[in-house]
Amino acid sequence: MRETYGSVLPGMNLSGMAGKLIVIEGTDCVGRTTQINLLRPWLEQEGHAVLVTGMTRSALAGRGIKRAKEGNTLGRITSTLFYATDFADRLENEIAPALRAGFVVLTDRYTYSLMARAMVRQLNVTWARQLYSFALKPDAVFYLRINVENLLPRVVFSRGFDYWESGMDLYASDDLHESFCKYQTALMSQFDKLTDEYGFEVIDASASVDKIFRQLKKGFRRVLDSGRGAPSGVSTQKTSQDEEELTPPPSAKPAPSSIVQPDKS
Amino acid sequence: MKRYGEHRYPGKLFIVEGIDGSGKSTQLSLLHQWLRAEGYGVVHSEWNSSPLVSRTTRRGKRRHLLTPATFSLIHATDFADRNERNIFALLKTGAVVLCDRYIYTAFARDGVRGMDARWLRELYSFAVKPTVAFYFRVPLQVAMDRILAARSGIKYYEAGMDMDLSPDVEESFRLFQGRILEQYEKMIPEFDLQVIDATLPIEVQQEQMRQIVKSKLEQAKRLMVAP
Repeated sequence: MRETYGSVLPGMNLSGMAGKLIVIEGTDCVGRTTQINLLRPWLEQEGHAVLVTGMTRSALAGRGIKRAKEGNTLGRITSTLFYATDFADRLENEIAPALRAGFVVLTDRYTYSLMARAMVRQLNVTWARQLYSFALKPDAVFYLRINVENLLPRVVFSRGFDYWESGMDLYASDDLHESFCKYQTALMSQFDKLTDEYGFEVIDASASVDKIFRQLKKGFRRVLDSGRGAPSGVSTQKTSQDEEELTPPPSAKPAPSSIVQPDKS
Repeated sequence: MKRYGEHRYPGKLFIVEGIDGSGKSTQLSLLHQWLRAEGYGVVHSEWNSSPLVSRTTRRGKRRHLLTPATFSLIHATDFADRNERNIFALLKTGAVVLCDRYIYTAFARDGVRGMDARWLRELYSFAVKPTVAFYFRVPLQVAMDRILAARSGIKYYEAGMDMDLSPDVEESFRLFQGRILEQYEKMIPEFDLQVIDATLPIEVQQEQMRQIVKSKLEQAKRLMVAP
């Protein structure tokens, strides 16, 4: 039986999801796509059917988000919710059916990136967590970790600084380089917090492509070999007390009093 | 990020809720004209009207791509956009903001579609609490008669056709609206909704509304805006 982080969407049957859900997380330009492009053919050669999915790729909201990002009026709550729409669409129409069909679902980022972005933008943490509480718990999260110094050359020598990747909505300045460093540093510190909470497996992304790939393959093998058809979920590696604190099921909680009382959080 | 609660902005927020055919939009537009004539800076914001999101919503509705989850989230995105770009700033400036439908519409509709009630309330916790939330209470049959007499066709999601309540659009609409009505009734005490009897003559309802609004505006400063 697969689990969620709390709430379950109407019509989402959590049993019979024999496939594996594996997440590659990491900041912009860290090499997620490169690794996924290596992992996919490797997994297929090993005999696994693979579905690759990632942010803004939903049939419903993908184009809308891209359009909204071209302007400069996309607010932080709006943006978070638009991405949540995109995520829910992919979860219901791609991820869940593929898991049910026994696929290995390889996802380029997951709700963690979205939570990190929301938290950097000072949105309420409880709100962001509960918003994404319908997400399925993955079987593993591999976090490609890097520091800003090592990230910078990759960005400069590939496509350059992007408005949103530089957090210009937060740290607007004439100096994109400066904004980028500030924003990415803030994001990384949020990722570090999430790493502890959600038990990410950290991979040093400043290493060579080949070395990262080898580490990922090792990690993937372990996940794929572990009890077929009995997805364990990342959270099982954590103590039950931690989990209780992180992802309380809404049914076990009294109605949030914040809804009727002013709260300055 | 502020959470749902009394705001301290100089502006005022009046919203109307009720099932389709309750006459709430008619009442809101009469209120709008009166406030403008009285010299208030008034702005009207409608549910599901953000230009940023509208193409996605339209696409989802036209192709029937929306599930209860994405239906809920896309409307929340729309609401957030109007809030962030518009409603907050207007309230801070001291405007009178009128909303045709508010978060209670989402609680009612999405709740009927099976979304978790607590999840929904947390989802919209960034919303400002209205100065007054009017609820136009009407028996289902009265609303149905008004709708069916006035409209050519009921839309797919409006009729709740996605819920497979009935293959007949009219019957589905009746069942869906009936369930929404139940949700509204439960929200009256929860959110302190101001009930207006929507079977009364239009003029009587409008008079009641104006009395209530007037009492809330007495403390508010009047923005000098040309009518």
